[in-house]
Amino acid sequence: MSLETTLQQIYDLPISASIRENVNAFPLIESLHVLAITLVFGTILIVDLRLVGFASHRRSADKLIRELLPYTWVAFVLAVITGALLFSSNAPAYANNPEFQLKLLAIAAAGLNMAIFHTTAHRRIADWDLDLPPPAAARISGFLSLGLWTLVIVLGRWIGFTLDVLF
Amino acid sequence: MYMQSFGEWLYETPISTMFRDITWIIPAVQSTHLLAIAVVIGSALVMELRLAGVLATDEPAGTVVQRYLPWIWRALVVLLLTGTLLVVAEPARTLGNTIFWTKMALVLVAFVLTLVFRRPLLRAPGGHAAIPAKPIAWLMLLIWVVVIFCGRFIAYT
Repeated sequence: MSLETTLQQIYDLPISASIRENVNAFPLIESLHVLAITLVFGTILIVDLRLVGFASHRRSADKLIRELLPYTWVAFVLAVITGALLFSSNAPAYANNPEFQLKLLAIAAAGLNMAIFHTTAHRRIADWDLDLPPPAAARISGFLSLGLWTLVIVLGRWIGFTLDVLF
Repeated sequence: MYMQSFGEWLYETPISTMFRDITWIIPAVQSTHLLAIAVVIGSALVMELRLAGVLATDEPAGTVVQRYLPWIWRALVVLLLTGTLLVVAEPARTLGNTIFWTKMALVLVAFVLTLVFRRPLLRAPGGHAAIPAKPIAWLMLLIWVVVIFCGRFIAYT
């Protein structure tokens, strides 16, 4: 199987081996991963709550989004990099872990939800920028985002309890 | 010594045994703990960056503090409750652990600093000139980051 070969090749990479062998490497990368995730969820939560209809520190939804989304993106990139490193240290075990697979699906769904929001309700944001509550389309996006990112965090924590290979 | 015997006693209590026996409890409580940390980090990030003069400088500092400080208090209550459950479930992992006590000390420092330097801003919207907001803002963010690192390292020490 080519996927299994690829996963084994990732596992055999020098960087993967050094993460496994250095006792502090995994917890350090994992701490950065947790920090990144809390920044992603923490900032997106503020935007989602505004989309659902809870007032934020400013009235304008558009300004709030433009103010916070750069932080979300930087933190998301950090989460992906650290996540990839954690994955590489034990690639076959992660790839075969159902919670890990579901977590990737939930992240993809959250991304799709965001893409739909940006191509629909966000296009007309000038019409509802100061409205509380915002139109239904924005509220639905906010609720879905809250649910999906919560799921991502819960699944992520579950991986730590269900992963087959621990070293 | 006292802490160790207390931990051993706690470990044997029916409630501690139950938390470990029902296998979903610990991951569920840890997930809730993590979500509450995200609430603290998100709220502290925006509030402290506002006070550092980085973010939302067109909004009065008081407005930003009013929006986020209550959420930090609420999340800290959830963290205290879920954290207590995790200690009860696995006393050996925490009570005899230097990193755990370092984390507790840092959380206490962050709590006291927030209480002393942030809570007064609720009643003084706009004017915070009397308080050295900027250095404390960066210090607060640094403390929360170290708390997160300590939290994860508890599992490895």
